[in-house]
Amino acid sequence: MFKFFAAFRKEWLILERDIAGMMLLFTMPILMVVILTLVQEFGWNTMANEPQMPVLFVNNDSDTVGNMMEIGLEKAKIFSLVKEINSVPVTREMAEMLIQQGDYQIGVIIPENTTNTIRSKIQLMVAKTMSSLMRNDPDLLEGVPNTDSIEIVVLFDPTVKKTFQNAFLSATREFNSKIEARMVFRIFQEEIQKIFPQFKIPISDYQETVFFTATYPSGEEEAIYPSSTQHNVPSWAIFAMFFIVIPLSSSIIKERDEGSLIRIMTQPVSYMTIFMAKVAVYLIVCFIQFILMVLAGIYLLPLFNMPALELGHQYFAIAIMAIVSSLAALGYGIMVGTISKTHQQAAAFGSVSIVILAALGGLWVPIYLMGYSMRNLAALSPLNWAHEGFISLFLRGSSLAGVFPEIAKLLIFFAVTISVAAIYRTLKPPIST
Amino acid sequence: MAEPVIIRIEDLSKFYKGSDEPAIDNISLDICRNEIFGLLGPNGAGKTTIISILCGLFSPGNGKVTIEGMDSQSDRNKIKHIIGIVPQDIALYPTLTGLENLQFFGNMYGLRGKLLKERIDEYLVRFGLDRFAKKRVTKYSGGMKRRVNLIAGLLHKPKILFLDEPTVGIDVQSRNVILDFLHELKATGTTIIYTSHYMEEAERLCDRVAIIDSGKILAVGNPRKLVEENPEYKNLENLFLELTGKDLRD
Ligand SMILES: Nc1ncnc2c1ncn2[C@@H]1O[C@H](COP(=O)(O)OP(=O)(O)OP(=O)(O)O)[C@@H](O)[C@H]1O
Ligand SMILES: [Mg+2]
Repeated sequence: MFKFFAAFRKEWLILERDIAGMMLLFTMPILMVVILTLVQEFGWNTMANEPQMPVLFVNNDSDTVGNMMEIGLEKAKIFSLVKEINSVPVTREMAEMLIQQGDYQIGVIIPENTTNTIRSKIQLMVAKTMSSLMRNDPDLLEGVPNTDSIEIVVLFDPTVKKTFQNAFLSATREFNSKIEARMVFRIFQEEIQKIFPQFKIPISDYQETVFFTATYPSGEEEAIYPSSTQHNVPSWAIFAMFFIVIPLSSSIIKERDEGSLIRIMTQPVSYMTIFMAKVAVYLIVCFIQFILMVLAGIYLLPLFNMPALELGHQYFAIAIMAIVSSLAALGYGIMVGTISKTHQQAAAFGSVSIVILAALGGLWVPIYLMGYSMRNLAALSPLNWAHEGFISLFLRGSSLAGVFPEIAKLLIFFAVTISVAAIYRTLKPPIST
Repeated sequence: MAEPVIIRIEDLSKFYKGSDEPAIDNISLDICRNEIFGLLGPNGAGKTTIISILCGLFSPGNGKVTIEGMDSQSDRNKIKHIIGIVPQDIALYPTLTGLENLQFFGNMYGLRGKLLKERIDEYLVRFGLDRFAKKRVTKYSGGMKRRVNLIAGLLHKPKILFLDEPTVGIDVQSRNVILDFLHELKATGTTIIYTSHYMEEAERLCDRVAIIDSGKILAVGNPRKLVEENPEYKNLENLFLELTGKDLRD
């Protein structure tokens, strides 16, 4: 134990004297969390507020459907409709050209007679229904046109992300069926009025009866609102945390290159003690990093009009989760540093493998969007375990017991990596490379 | 060779990975208690490799090394307590001070508190480093680093001390202090295994030397006797050049 503290002191002094390194250790993760969260936020949500996306809107219908679509899209506030450019009304050809050139990303073209076509179709259906109801009254089918479907064209610049295209299409589709539903109801009323002129039917609009409310079941009294901050800060915090692999492996390689390791290996002390002292010092670093990142989530992000990070009440569980995740990162760093021959190897392998493990682990794309084979792979990434644990604590309000499987997996990972490093070191003495 | 054997080397060979020439080629050698034994040889002869095997960093391959009757591999942890090593390359933490380095390495030998402090002070004064103890090693001159490197290996007063070129690149004053000190250590019963390129230094210091080249022992014995037995060479250096040839080494 006393040798452990001596090694701890040595490690601490070395770290403390590398002032530039210390600054980087503590500022980089904060920068990473804040910038990555902001970028992600501006990429998606902020479209709902400030900068509106221009949409070329060609309304050749100029009747109910076209006008309602126009009002609807404008109301959504995400888009600003461009109907004319330099006082020239936008045509389909213009829209196609402008989007092809990349000047605009989205165009919506409502063809002529859209409303009329829909109207006649509904009339036909109403008439058919009525005629079968009244049996022999062939007059009703007279003058009702039989029509084809119509096509509202949405033009996309190919650079627009597929997910966004789908979101846009389903929103317009949904909006359009709302309009159709209203028209059906209206026309039905009118037709019935025609057949039974003796009744006065009050004209009214159809109102939706089914609404969707999003609620978030959580173990706690007050649900934590799943804002983008709540989603992103844990992801990026884990990502940043694992980058401790770089300075830690570098410290191991330096110790070897400077020759001290050879001396240590001839001394009556086990590598485990030396490793553990390193882990202890860097664990403190990781924990401070984590606290700084959480504080950035609480106090810094709101300065950029982002919702503040909410911790809920599981402080203790969050702290344990942070420690255990750090340990996994540290074990990995020790292993990478021990096995790598040079700083370059460790830095390249370390950073690339973390990016891969993060991507696999669902830190960037949620796992539930991945295919099944990818999901199985994701379950192998320690960053995934850490992420699952934090997400449970931050969003589902789980307790410590609820994240026990993640904690266990991370601890086992730590034990395995550090043992691999110790065994490797025993088998391969650090004689000049 | 009145003293009993403390280190016994039997049929020692060592191949480094990726090289088909052995770095050590079937060496057998006994080193006696309380002698200063010199390993002499040109660059690449295998001196550092032998020392690395003796202190347990490498396995002795098909051969066998026993130190105080203990096997160099299976009793490695026990042997670590009685040996001290001064590596050829400086093995110190550059951003720590000389004092902090010595404290750390002393602690790793299990030394602590007052005893460690007294030892460190004693050696710092002895090697003229007391004024620089609180400076970082990066700020030391080459000779100062060598001296701290030396102290770090003998703080725990080892029974057996391995010195890999301890006097390389230092001035005459420091060299004299070091050589005198090694004589004193011998007087307290320490066995010293020592490598050097300085023949005249080895002649003055060593009880016995082994001249090695290409991993083989070419001659073993007391340096004066070796010269006497080969009177055509006036000194050890001439004998050495005759045995190892005048070609430059890689
Ligand atoms: N890590 C290594 N990998 C491969 N070959 C090595 C390694 N270390 C040493 N060698 C080779 O083994 C041989 C002996 O090297 P060693 O360092 O023991 O020589 P030395 O006598 O200490 O030389 P010097 O006087 O230059 O220190 C040399 O041919 C060297 O090239
Ligand atoms: Mg050497």
